[in-house]
Amino acid sequence: MAKITIDKTIFEFEGDQPSLLQFCLDREIELPHFCYHPAMSAPANCRQCLVEIGNPERDRETGQIMVDEEGNEVIRFFPKLMTSCSENISDGLVVRTQRSSDLVRRAQKDNLEFLLINHPLDCPICDQAGHCPLQNQAYKYGPEGSRFEFRKVSKPKHIRLGPRVVLDAERCINCTRCTRFTSEISKSHQLTIVERSVKNYPMTPPGIEFDEPYSMNVIDICPVGALTSEDFRFKARVWEMSSTPSITTTNAKGSNCYYWVKDNRVLKITPRTNMNVNEFWLADDDRLDYERFNDDRPPGPTVDGEASSWEDGYARAAHILGNVDGNRIAFLGSAHASVEDNYLLARLAEKLGTAAPMYIEHVEVGSGDDWLRTDDRAPNASGCARLGFTVADADLFGPRLKGGEIDVLYVLEDDPVSTGLCTSDDLHGVSVILHHYNESNQTLPLATVSLPAATVVETVGTFVNIDGHAQRVRPAKAIRGVNRTLAMEIGRSRADQHGTPFDRWYNEENLINCQPGWVSVPGVANALGLDMPTTNPKAIMAELASTNSAFEGATYSAMGEYGIRLSEIGETV
Amino acid sequence: MTNFIKDPVVMMAERNPDPVFSNDELVFSDQEKRLIERWKSQYPTVDGAIMRVLWLAQEKFGFLPPEVIRLTADEVGIPYANAYGVATFYTQYYKKKRGKHVLDVCTCFSCQVCGGYDILHYLESKLGIHVGETTDDGLFTLQEVECLGACGSAPMLQVTNGRYVMDLTHERVDALIDTLRKGKTPEFTSVTLPQDEDELGGNRRSDVKEFQASSPRPVSETVR
Repeated sequence: MAKITIDKTIFEFEGDQPSLLQFCLDREIELPHFCYHPAMSAPANCRQCLVEIGNPERDRETGQIMVDEEGNEVIRFFPKLMTSCSENISDGLVVRTQRSSDLVRRAQKDNLEFLLINHPLDCPICDQAGHCPLQNQAYKYGPEGSRFEFRKVSKPKHIRLGPRVVLDAERCINCTRCTRFTSEISKSHQLTIVERSVKNYPMTPPGIEFDEPYSMNVIDICPVGALTSEDFRFKARVWEMSSTPSITTTNAKGSNCYYWVKDNRVLKITPRTNMNVNEFWLADDDRLDYERFNDDRPPGPTVDGEASSWEDGYARAAHILGNVDGNRIAFLGSAHASVEDNYLLARLAEKLGTAAPMYIEHVEVGSGDDWLRTDDRAPNASGCARLGFTVADADLFGPRLKGGEIDVLYVLEDDPVSTGLCTSDDLHGVSVILHHYNESNQTLPLATVSLPAATVVETVGTFVNIDGHAQRVRPAKAIRGVNRTLAMEIGRSRADQHGTPFDRWYNEENLINCQPGWVSVPGVANALGLDMPTTNPKAIMAELASTNSAFEGATYSAMGEYGIRLSEIGETV
Repeated sequence: MTNFIKDPVVMMAERNPDPVFSNDELVFSDQEKRLIERWKSQYPTVDGAIMRVLWLAQEKFGFLPPEVIRLTADEVGIPYANAYGVATFYTQYYKKKRGKHVLDVCTCFSCQVCGGYDILHYLESKLGIHVGETTDDGLFTLQEVECLGACGSAPMLQVTNGRYVMDLTHERVDALIDTLRKGKTPEFTSVTLPQDEDELGGNRRSDVKEFQASSPRPVSETVR
């Protein structure tokens, strides 16, 4: 097997390997770097990842590796330091990093001094501070002070490159990650480095706006605070927020993300690397879709339009459901709700002798692309289909309501009126039980019983994306009331697995009075006197994984942080 | 460069400038297009041809406003942003309108010692403009540049990215301005390396039989 020596430690490898820098990073050997990004070409222009590299010296005549008197291989080092990001790995390579080489330490320190010469000292007001590679690396590997006695170069500041990205050219270290993103990844070709030497900075060419649908990715990959979010600028410092690994729900891709929460309000959504789904990236739509979690939320359950307690809501819902024949009830599952919630709804329908729930399709043709956005604007249509739900057809559903075939409409976390499944008139004389996220839900004014539902950032659940990838969501913010499952999951979502809801800069005012579907649907069922013991989402998924072949293997432990790819279910769903 | 050290401010170019050329003007002739196609075929990828095409465009249009850069990018088949990055990188591509003749006076180390700034200041007073400006008649633009690689014949200047005029004295500058005013191009002067002087009997030019180099080199007034 081929071997490579890094700081006197021997690593064995086989087959094709990434660059030396990535090889080291994969083995938790930290090498400072700015311009290198695993998804893009390595221009080696930041010069921060310099290392000493050598090969065993061979006898020119015999081709044998030469050994010294003590029997050690003689290593011939390159006369100059090499950038590890652009260096390929070969058998016998010997590498000295900053851990074992003074020369490398010195080079990294001096290089940082150069990078910092014209970098403004505005960390106290910079959005990047606290999670800034330049700040971290200057602290770890940089010089102790500045020897630069001249004025720093002033460059354009707070320039709107596009509707969502703001440039501060002074902070830029010209790593070209952003321009390479537009030329290699998104291929919009909207950014370039203009001018030269100390005057250069990234910019759009004249007459072009940086408005591509993935523009905000450059904010994450920017290793300094040069590119910041128009939306998030100056809203919160990174250490004031907690981040929770979860997925986004604006479309059926289920891109992995972190929800950043302060005072129990979601302030920012950033991508989370999952090579099976979204790789390193996140669409702008997904990032800006957080206000509906904070604002426009209902104050609590209502009965006949009047505020009520949860118990009264459940009791009234049970009363309505219990007094009609099962086949005069229509259940609507939801492509916005988790698999667990939909499954419990199906169980409820089954026990009442009603047909399997249908779900509303949220397809907007043309809103997707071949990348991280799909035409389907709901996160869990696949999950509904795998549960055996069929798409509700507006041409059939409205007339059925109008024709008086249905007395009770039970809607799980959706809005049949605004989606055009039926009109307000159609619902005249129909009792509507509604689980809803937002006050602006257009079915809400017609609801007999409304039960506010926890959104994706407040619940525990499973979503299946358009490719059949089942992924878990975790609570990023707390809801009003005590729920042990949610509290535990909030704790587990933190890196050290020992958090509490109070880590979220707990603020009573911003707690929403809502319940996850796996609490409220069994709440209704229990009020009906039906036996529905499984109210723990983990247990529900375990049950589904073992009983329903469409969810085979999709247990919480198997899905973990990155989800699992479910087997194809074919046409016979 | 000195001003930039005292006042290091980078101004941003206008983001939506009004176009200088109309769409009717923004075309390459068939002959130019054939030339561009030939250049494109000479590189492994077509983007290699952008510098020559920008050059061609500059000769055709006089300078390179954004719409001309976009035209060259479209013609070569590379993204506009890439072409714009290249065009702004090189100072020899003029992004703003210049005079008919651009005088690039070298003030880098060797020329500076030999009187580069004396020549520059002489030109400033002779033309009545400051460095970086253009004369009212639109004939001359005066610029200060870094080393042009002719230190052996310092002080020197370059005329509009073309001819080198070397071993400058006030008289030679006067003669050069006269030549340019008459619409003529200054004569080509070939140079051999100073270390070859002995071999060539002191004649540093290969195109004429006898030549007297200005030796010893002139010395800047400030140094003197």
